[in-house]
Amino acid sequence: MNQNRSFIVQLQILTKRMLLRVIRRPLAELPNLIISAFFLFVYDGALGGVFGGTASGTPFDFAKGNFINFILPVSIVSASLSGAASGIYLVEDIESGVFKRYQSMPISRWAIILAPMNVGALRVLLQSGLILLIGIIIGADPVVGNIGFLVVLSVAFIWGMGFAGYSVAAGIKSGSSQGAQAATFLFFPAIFLAPTFVPREALKGWLETAAAYNPTTYVIEAMRAVMVDGWELDVLFRGYLAAGLFAALTLTLAVISARKATEKA
Amino acid sequence: MLAVDVKNIKKTFISKQDTVEAVKDVSFQVKQGEIFGLLGPNGAGKSTTILMITTLLSITGGKASVLGIDVATKDKEVRKKIGVALQDTGLDNLLTGKELFFTTCRLWGYSKKDSEVRTNQLLELVGLSEAADRRVKTYSGGMKRRLDLGLSLVHSPEILFLDEPTTGLDPGSRRVLWDEIKRLRDNGVTIILTTQYLEEADELADRIAIIDEGLVVAEGTSDELKAGIGGDVITFVFETNDDLENAKNILKNTVQEKNELRITVEDGASKIPGYIKDLSSNGVEVSSVSASKPTLDDVFLEVTGYRLEGSEDIKKVQEESKR
Ligand SMILES: Nc1ncnc2c1ncn2[C@@H]1O[C@H](COP(=O)(O)OP(=O)(O)O)[C@@H](O)[C@H]1O
Ligand SMILES: [Mg+2]
Repeated sequence: MNQNRSFIVQLQILTKRMLLRVIRRPLAELPNLIISAFFLFVYDGALGGVFGGTASGTPFDFAKGNFINFILPVSIVSASLSGAASGIYLVEDIESGVFKRYQSMPISRWAIILAPMNVGALRVLLQSGLILLIGIIIGADPVVGNIGFLVVLSVAFIWGMGFAGYSVAAGIKSGSSQGAQAATFLFFPAIFLAPTFVPREALKGWLETAAAYNPTTYVIEAMRAVMVDGWELDVLFRGYLAAGLFAALTLTLAVISARKATEKA
Repeated sequence: MLAVDVKNIKKTFISKQDTVEAVKDVSFQVKQGEIFGLLGPNGAGKSTTILMITTLLSITGGKASVLGIDVATKDKEVRKKIGVALQDTGLDNLLTGKELFFTTCRLWGYSKKDSEVRTNQLLELVGLSEAADRRVKTYSGGMKRRLDLGLSLVHSPEILFLDEPTTGLDPGSRRVLWDEIKRLRDNGVTIILTTQYLEEADELADRIAIIDEGLVVAEGTSDELKAGIGGDVITFVFETNDDLENAKNILKNTVQEKNELRITVEDGASKIPGYIKDLSSNGVEVSSVSASKPTLDDVFLEVTGYRLEGSEDIKKVQEESKR
C-alpha cells in the first residue's frame, strides 16, 4: 500500500471507530442541542413580541418583523460549539491509553489526531443543521432566499472547526478531559459579550467595546445580514474573516500541541 | 541472531521539578523462542525499559536492537516485528471485543475480508469468542488482559512484549494467561515479560533478569540463580530475642528476618545436627529448624538485600532502623 492511500484508509477506520463511540453515547449529544434550541424557543417567546411582529415600523424593529430570523444565528453559533467535542474525544483516548496503543502501531500520527476532528466537524454540521431545520419549521425565512441558509451553515462550520481546534489544543495541553471540557466555557463570554439579543448599535459602554473585540459578533452579524438585511458584502466578509482567522489560529495551536503530544519523551 | 539485545541502556526523565534516573544501566540478551522475565518491584524501571525497547520512549544512553534492527533509528521497522501489551492498557470500553479486533486488524493493513477471518481466529485463541459481541466495559479483569494479549498478536509478531500481564489478576485467571503465554512460546514467539511476582518468573521465564532501582542485579535461568546462592538454606526459628542474639554470634554469617536466622551452606540437611549441638551446648533454645533448597525469594533477598513481597514496607523498616 502506498503512503497516502494507507493514510486515508487509517483515517477512515479511525473516524468510523470514533463515530461508533459517539453513537454508543447518544445522550452526550443532548445538552448542547437543548441549549441551542432553548435560545430559539425561549428568546423568540420572550422577546419576539417586543422586537418582532408587534414592533413593526417602530425604532425597535431591527428584526424587520421576523424575530426568528434575528435569533436563529445565535442558536446556530451555539450549536456549532459542539465542535469542541473533538478535544474531549481525543483526550479520552489519551486518558484511557488507547492513544498510546495506536502510537505503538505503524499508524500516521496525523490520522490519530484528525479522526476526532472529522467527527467534531460532522457533529457541527448535524447539530447546526438540526437547529436550522427547527428554525425553518417555526418560520425562519432568510431575506436573501434559501441560499442564506447555506451562508449561515458555512460560517457556522468554519466557526465550529475553530472551537474544535481550540478544544484539541486545550485538551492536549491540560492532558485531561476536564481541561477539554473547560474549553466549552468559552461559550459564555462568546455569546454574552456579543450583540446576541439586540443589534450592536443598541449596546452601551464597555459591553459595546467588548463586543467589538469578540469575533462572535462578526459571525453573528454576517449570519444576520443574510437572514434579516440582505446581501451586505462587507458584513459577510468580516464574518467569514473572523471565523476563518479564529479557526486558523486554533488549528495551528492544535497542530503544534499535537506534534508535541506525539513526540517521544 | 538475538531476538533482543540491550546494551547499557539508560533513561533519565528531566522535568522542571526534578531529575529521575528511572533506568541507570540495563543490559540483557534474549534468544529467539524463549520467555525472558524482567523481575523487579514497583518503580524498578521495568516499564521504562520496555517502553524504550519498543520504540515508545527515547533512549538517554546505550543501545538496543530487536532482531538486529536498531530501535532508536529504525522504529517503524521494529514496530512491524513486535507486539506490545503495555501496563496501562488502552482498551476502548464502548466497543465490543469483535469490533476492537476488527479495527486493529484493519489498522495493521489487513483487507476487510482478511480482518474478519483474523478476528475470529484471535477471539478463539484468547478464549473470547463467546463474549465477542459484548462491550469491553462488561469484561472481567482477566478477559481484558486476554483481549489485550490478543490485540498485540494481530500482525503475528515474532517478538512479544508484555508489561506485567497478570498484575492484579486472581490465581485462576493468572494460570489461564500463563498457559496462553507458554503456548505462544511453544509456537515460536519470543516473549519478554515483566513481573513483580516471583512465582510468575519462576514458572514462566526460561531466563530471568532481576532489576532493582534501574540496575540489573542478577541474570540467569531460575536454577542458575538459585545455584548461585551456593548450597541450601537452613532456617532457625527462636522463641526469645536473647536466644536469637546469642545464636547470631555462634552461627556467623546469618541473615536475620524477624525471629528467624538463615544461613546458606553446602549440603544443609546433614549439617543441622552439628549446629543444634553447638547451640544447645551454649544454652540457646531453638524452637524449630529446617533446611531447604534456595528459592527465587532467597535469590532476590541475596542480590537486593530485601524481600520482594511487601518490599516497600521492608525498605521502610530498614530505613528507619538506620536512623
Ligand atoms: N514519565 C516519567 N517522568 C518521570 N519519572 C518517571 C516517568 N516514568 C517513570 N518514572 C519514574 O521512573 C521510575 C521507574 O518507573 P517504571 O519504569 O514505571 O517502574 P516499574 O515499571 O518497574 O514499576 C519510577 O521511580 C517512576 O516514578
Ligand atoms: Mg511498570
